[in-house]
Amino acid sequence: MNQNKTKTKLKPSLKILSLALMITLTPFSGCLSADDSDSNDSLDDGEIVIVTYDVYALTDEMISTFENDSGLAVRMLKLDDAGSVLDYLIQNKGNSNVDLAIGLDNTYLPTAIEFDLLTEISADKTMMQDSQSNSGMSPLDPYDGPLATPFDMGYICLNYDTSVVDGENLSLPTSLWDLTEPEWNGKVAFPSPVSSSPGRAFMLATLDYFDWSQNMTEFKDWWSAMAENDAIITSGWTEAYETHYSGGYGVWNEGHVGDAHMTVSYCHSPGVEAFYGENSTKSSALDLPKTSFFQVEYAAAVRGGNSDYAHQFIQYLISPEVNSKMPIENLMYSVLADEDLPTDNGYRYHSLIPGEPSSVSNDAIRENMETWLQEWNSAVTSGE
Amino acid sequence: MNKLRRFIGTCSIVTYSAIILVPITLAIHRLVTVAGFNPELWVNSLSQNFISAGVTNFTIVQAIASTIATIVVGLPIAWALGRYKWRREALYRSILTLPFVIPSIIAAMGILSIVGAHGINIRTNESTWWWTLVLSHAWFNMALFIRFCEPLLSSMDPVLEEQLRLLPNGRTRLSRIKNLWLPLLMPSVVAAASMTFVFSFTSFALVKWITVGNNTLESMMADVSSSAGIVGYMESSSDIVLGASMIQFSILLVSLWLASVIQHKHRAILTHSRPDHSKRTNLYGLFILIPALLFALAPLISVLVGSFRIRNSDPMMGDFTWGFGGWQAAVNGGFSFPPLTDGIFNSLGYAFFTLLIALPLGSTMAMSIYDLEKIKPRLGRLLDVFTMLPFALSAAMIGLGVLIGIIKINPSAAYQFWALPALAHIMLTTPFVVRIMLPALRSYDRKFDETAKVLGVKPIDRLLKIKLPLLKGPMVISSVFILAMSLGEFGASFVVARNTDWITLPLLIDSWRGKPMKDPFAAPASNAIASVLMVMTLILFMVAEKFRNNREGGMF
Repeated sequence: MNQNKTKTKLKPSLKILSLALMITLTPFSGCLSADDSDSNDSLDDGEIVIVTYDVYALTDEMISTFENDSGLAVRMLKLDDAGSVLDYLIQNKGNSNVDLAIGLDNTYLPTAIEFDLLTEISADKTMMQDSQSNSGMSPLDPYDGPLATPFDMGYICLNYDTSVVDGENLSLPTSLWDLTEPEWNGKVAFPSPVSSSPGRAFMLATLDYFDWSQNMTEFKDWWSAMAENDAIITSGWTEAYETHYSGGYGVWNEGHVGDAHMTVSYCHSPGVEAFYGENSTKSSALDLPKTSFFQVEYAAAVRGGNSDYAHQFIQYLISPEVNSKMPIENLMYSVLADEDLPTDNGYRYHSLIPGEPSSVSNDAIRENMETWLQEWNSAVTSGE
Repeated sequence: MNKLRRFIGTCSIVTYSAIILVPITLAIHRLVTVAGFNPELWVNSLSQNFISAGVTNFTIVQAIASTIATIVVGLPIAWALGRYKWRREALYRSILTLPFVIPSIIAAMGILSIVGAHGINIRTNESTWWWTLVLSHAWFNMALFIRFCEPLLSSMDPVLEEQLRLLPNGRTRLSRIKNLWLPLLMPSVVAAASMTFVFSFTSFALVKWITVGNNTLESMMADVSSSAGIVGYMESSSDIVLGASMIQFSILLVSLWLASVIQHKHRAILTHSRPDHSKRTNLYGLFILIPALLFALAPLISVLVGSFRIRNSDPMMGDFTWGFGGWQAAVNGGFSFPPLTDGIFNSLGYAFFTLLIALPLGSTMAMSIYDLEKIKPRLGRLLDVFTMLPFALSAAMIGLGVLIGIIKINPSAAYQFWALPALAHIMLTTPFVVRIMLPALRSYDRKFDETAKVLGVKPIDRLLKIKLPLLKGPMVISSVFILAMSLGEFGASFVVARNTDWITLPLLIDSWRGKPMKDPFAAPASNAIASVLMVMTLILFMVAEKFRNNREGGMF
């Protein structure tokens, strides 16, 4: 009797619950499994999807010319920086909607390759610079494979404010250890290598400077000493350069503090300052051996996307009519042979080509980046 | 409770559970797969990573300071509104409670304009940033003290104070404060203070823009979220997110529980009177009211003014000129940003999509709780607590749950499913609907329904002609609240929608403001978009004010 009672009591509740589950969960069923036919359709849909960050070279005019010439529609996913592009590609691995990634640099590319995020294309790289060119830079040096194509480049190095680092108020450092002296206390701003690509490039430079292959002690000691000397470590380049650096255009920024007289930027940043400042700048790049790092930015076809579309866009991006404009549109060097920074307004004159840049191989980056970031983290966090 | 009602109730509970638990569970599973199950390690990772070191302290200290500052600012305003007579009182109350519904990104823009080079010019001094943040939180949350305390103050029978004056313990002003006002106001003050603490603790947009370089747990989680949950890559991010979520969840849960317990235990049952009987004229109140009105309006006016002020690149031409350049830039968009109309359509689309789901879902959930309270009180209470779960989860965690949870199911869905950001908005707004509808249902007089039933009125007619008209006010307020919250939502959208090209207005404001300041239109364009969002919110606020019963107290 009791059993029957229980049965009759439970039955309607279970029925209601099952029906409710069926009705409410049906709309989610579309998300539960990847529909391959849909994904394949999206590959040839006449639309190229580009994941990138604020690459200034991708102007409206440039995009619409490509759309007219190729007949493809361009759709862009704009992220924060090169690191976000890599994060996005890893998080969305298997997403067949993205065709092209623009903005990964040679500090992030090895990780992208290791995670098998990119697919091969055969871009024409014959007209690219080599080490004999005017700038002395060879964009194919860090990577010359089919998974990524260089589209701009430049050296990362320390920039300083010449109005303060004048030998009287502050003396020009001749070694990185000079920056750990009390006179530099709280006056150097670094973008974090964890979240910023210039920050990461500078960390790599310091690894070479302190000869990481022998031991990591000096590298860690220097970063610990910098942290103890109240170095300003910011999450990104923008905050370091625009908010803290006293020598740059950040003075226009409402929140400009200007407490740092040295920061990490490009060796040609003073040239950019001069170009926009009627040939006048108080910023200069520091030419200290092995404290600069050659950075190349890449465009790469994303695995699972339409590599033909990606190939078309990459060829367009490295074509002379687009790539020669890199110094003006993107404030970076063009990768093409016979191209250099313009001489107008002192752009070229104020841009340093470092005498002895540091060098860390792609293989070493791929194998050690996680460990290096951890070592850097423990050095600046606990001083251990 | 008839079968149909039980069925609808069960549907809503299952849907709500699926919406809340599925993404969060998937996200936690993915994070734990990377980090391993070691809560102690998660929490320790916060002090061991540069990006998270000191963040917990900063979050707690600024939240406590902000709470104290809000009490100092908010209580006198609540007193002036509650105890003194004012002409146009409703207007003053609306202005003073307006900041609470203004999206925090707008507040950030307005406050930056005030402290910036063309305002009081203290922005160049980094030591002012922390205090600016604390005051901004006070601006944002002072409405809570007005909402919680003013109804009580305005209906307090003056006879009570007069009687107390005759007693030894009520002769001095101090003793009356100690023996009457403090015990009377304490539950409301504690409730308002707890909510202020919660909102300051989870502050994102204000922290991101005002104390640049410092993070709350919320903004830090949003920063590291893009690299969380990946095996073999930046694995510390997963530890950090789990540790931060755990701390945040515990602290928020305790705060909300504390507020609820104190409010219930110390609710004073005293004789009430009509406000016109309790209130008196006191012109000294102007010393509170006028600065308070200026304080409330200044950031909003600054946003609008800032949208027309364009910095001159050439110093010879003066600091700035006035013009529509910022508006033009915002409307046209550019290679970095979509035009303003895209942001408006996306934001409105998400807001209405959220409304479509959250209003019926929250209302039916409230009805289920209400029904259960009568037949199974414990289950009803449990469900009531369960609906509040998103309050203790941060918006960034909800965004992260939606993003990496859905990516785990199907990576393409995150890209193809336009409504994805709205899923986070539904998670965030549904609990508010329950909190608005439940008290309304509890106060709904069932006699109307029973009388109609006796008179033979059909159930559908009873619903359409009796129940819905009586519940119209709370439903309109819920709708407005959903729309306003969704339109201004920043934390979860920052995590979810920045990985898509469906940018919302708050994200568009953030993007423009983040543009290098070499562009003279960056600040005015962000202010222009903020002005548009502000007007949309203002319209919604005015609609809600028409339907709000001011004597109810509480947040809404």
